[in-house]
Amino acid sequence: MTTKVTIHRLATGVPGLDEVLGGGLPEFSFNLIAGQPGCGKTTLAHQIMFAQASAERPALYFTVLGEPPLKMLRYQQQFDFFDSEALNQRVRFINLSEEAMTGDLDRVLRRIVDAVAEHAPALVFVDSFRSVVLAGEGGAHPHNTLQQFVQQLGMLMTTWQATTFLIGEYFTETDANPVFTVADGLIWLRQSVQRNSMVRKLEILKMRGQPTLPGLHTYRIGPAGIQVFAPAGLAAPAPAGGGAGAPPRAAEPRLMLGVPGLDAMLGGGLPRGYSLLVAGPSGSGKSILAAAFLGEGARLGEPGVLAAFEQRPGRERNLVLAGLIERGQVSLINHRSQDLSIDEVVHLLLDEIRRLGARRVVIDSLSGFELALAPTFRDDFRASLLRLVTALSDADVTVLMTSELEDRYTDLRFSPYGSAFLTDAIIVQRYIEVDSRLRRVMAVVKVRASAHADELREYLIDADGIHIGAPLPDQEGLLGGRPTRKRGPPRPAEPGPG
Amino acid sequence: MSVDRSPELHMIAPLAHRVPEGSAPAAVASAMGVVWAELDATLSPILGPRGVAALWQRSLHLAAAAHPWLSAGQPDGGPPDAAALVAALGGRGRDDAVAGSNRLLATFHELLVSLIGASLTERLLRSVWGPASGAPGRGPTAQDPTT
Repeated sequence: MTTKVTIHRLATGVPGLDEVLGGGLPEFSFNLIAGQPGCGKTTLAHQIMFAQASAERPALYFTVLGEPPLKMLRYQQQFDFFDSEALNQRVRFINLSEEAMTGDLDRVLRRIVDAVAEHAPALVFVDSFRSVVLAGEGGAHPHNTLQQFVQQLGMLMTTWQATTFLIGEYFTETDANPVFTVADGLIWLRQSVQRNSMVRKLEILKMRGQPTLPGLHTYRIGPAGIQVFAPAGLAAPAPAGGGAGAPPRAAEPRLMLGVPGLDAMLGGGLPRGYSLLVAGPSGSGKSILAAAFLGEGARLGEPGVLAAFEQRPGRERNLVLAGLIERGQVSLINHRSQDLSIDEVVHLLLDEIRRLGARRVVIDSLSGFELALAPTFRDDFRASLLRLVTALSDADVTVLMTSELEDRYTDLRFSPYGSAFLTDAIIVQRYIEVDSRLRRVMAVVKVRASAHADELREYLIDADGIHIGAPLPDQEGLLGGRPTRKRGPPRPAEPGPG
Repeated sequence: MSVDRSPELHMIAPLAHRVPEGSAPAAVASAMGVVWAELDATLSPILGPRGVAALWQRSLHLAAAAHPWLSAGQPDGGPPDAAALVAALGGRGRDDAVAGSNRLLATFHELLVSLIGASLTERLLRSVWGPASGAPGRGPTAQDPTT
C-alpha cells in the first residue's frame, strides 16, 4: 500500500489546456494567470470556474480593483460557458474594492479568509492581483508587504483545500517577483501583433509536479471561450507498437492516385500513409491531379479532406471536386484569416479527418497555406510544415500537397521551402518547348523505400483530367526546358582544323 | 383621500410583497426604504458598494425626469441617500408615493438589465423581486409595466 499523497488533477474545461498542462491542474495548487491587458486572463479564469464549480465544489471569485464587476459580468456573459443560474449558487462573486481601497492588505486577506471559511469553496479566484499590489503600495499599512500577503494567501488557500488563481497583469517574466516563487503554477498569456494579424500564445512557465508541454502554444478566443492548440504530435499519446521502431510503411497496401499510368510510375500506387509532394509551375495541373486523387478515394468509399487556403474564394473550381464537396465525400477547409498558427491548422485538419473518417488529405497549395499563417509563423515555415506532415502521418492519412514552383531550367528544385525532404514521395511537373509548342512532362522523383519509374513522361490535360503519355526518348535536355532532338550515334571524329 | 386614488396604480413586485395595496404613503415609503436596503445588501457584495451607489444615482436621475420630487434632499454628486428618498416619498400623496417608487425601481431594474442582461439580473435580484413565475400570494413580477 502506498502512503504517498495522490495529487488529483482538475480538468480545466478549456480545450487543449489540459494537454499543455500535462494532464490538468493539480488540486489545491496556487496559480498565477498573467499577461498584458486584453489577452483573456479573466476569460480563462471564468471558463475554468464555470467548468469546475459545482454545488459540492463551489467557486469564489474575488474582484478587487481594476475592471468593475458590473462590466466584467456584462462581457463574460457573452461566452457560452457563462451560466447566470450558477450565480450565488455554485459560483459566487465577492467584491473587495472597499477593503483594497484602504490599502490594508491584512483586511483584504481577512475578508478572503472569512468568505472562504463561510462558503468552503473548492476554487478561489482573485482578480486582479495587480490591484492588490497597488493597493498595498499606496496604503498606510506597509507592514504587511506583498510577499507576506501572497505567502499567507497561498498557505491559507491550500490549507482550506482550495485551488487558487491569482489573475495579474504587467508582470515581466524576468522580474524576481515573490509571487512567482510562491505560486505552484504560472500560466502566461501573450499576444503579439504583426502587420494586421493578432496572434495569442500561452506558456506554462511553471507547474509543480506536472510534465507540461514546453514552449508557446497558440490559442484563440471565440464565442465558446478560449481554445488552446496543443501541438498535435506531442499531445497525443504514443500509439502502442508505434514510434521509432515502427516498420517501414512500404509493405503496406498502396492506394491509387486515379491517374492511369501515374500509379504504375509510382511503382504500383502510393503506399498508404505516405505524404506526396506535387511540385510544378502554374497551370501544370497540380490541382487536377489532387482532384483525381480525392475522386479516386471517393470512388473507393474513402472520404477526403481538402485544405485549400485560397485567397480568393468562389473561384471556379474543378467540377469533379465541386461535386465531391457537394456530396459530402470531400470536406473543404478554406480558411482565409491570415492569422492561423500551425497548430490551429493541424487541429482544423484533424477535426475534419476524425469527423469524416477521412483517409486522403490534400493541401492545395503550400503557398496558400503559408499565406494563411500569421506572419510571425512564416519565418519558421519549414518547421511548421514538418509538424503538419508528422501530425497527418500520425493520423494515418495519405497526404498530397501541391507546391507552386517557378520553372527554372538551370536547376531541379521541388519546392521553394526546401521541404522536399519532409515528404515520402515527390512528383515534379515541368513545361518544355518542343516544336514551338508548350508541352508538359511529369516524373516521379522519389518514393521512399519503393521502386519507381525514372522516366520523364509527357502528359495531356483535357476535360477528363490528366492522361499520361509516352516518354520522349528522342528528346534530350528536357529539364533544361528546351529539349533537342537526340542525334544518332556519334560519328567518327572529323579531322580538326588546322 | 380616496378621491386621488387611481385604481390602476399598482405597486410593482418588490413593493407589493411588502405592503398591501392601499397602504398609506408612509408605509409605501418605508417599504421602499427596505427594498433599497435589500438591493444594497444583495448587490454590494458582488458589485461593490460604490457600484451599487452608482446604479442608484443613475436610476434616481432618470426617474426624477418624471417625478422631480424624487431627488429632493439627495446629496450633490455624493452617494445617494436612502433616508432622503424615504422622506421625499413620505411627504407625497399615496399615488405619488406609489408612482415614484414604481418608477425608481423599474428604472433600476431596466438599468441593470441593460448592463448585465435580463437573465443575470433576474438571477441576482430574485431574492428581492421574488421568483419570476409569480408564486402564490406574491405580487406582480418584475416584468409588469408600471404605467
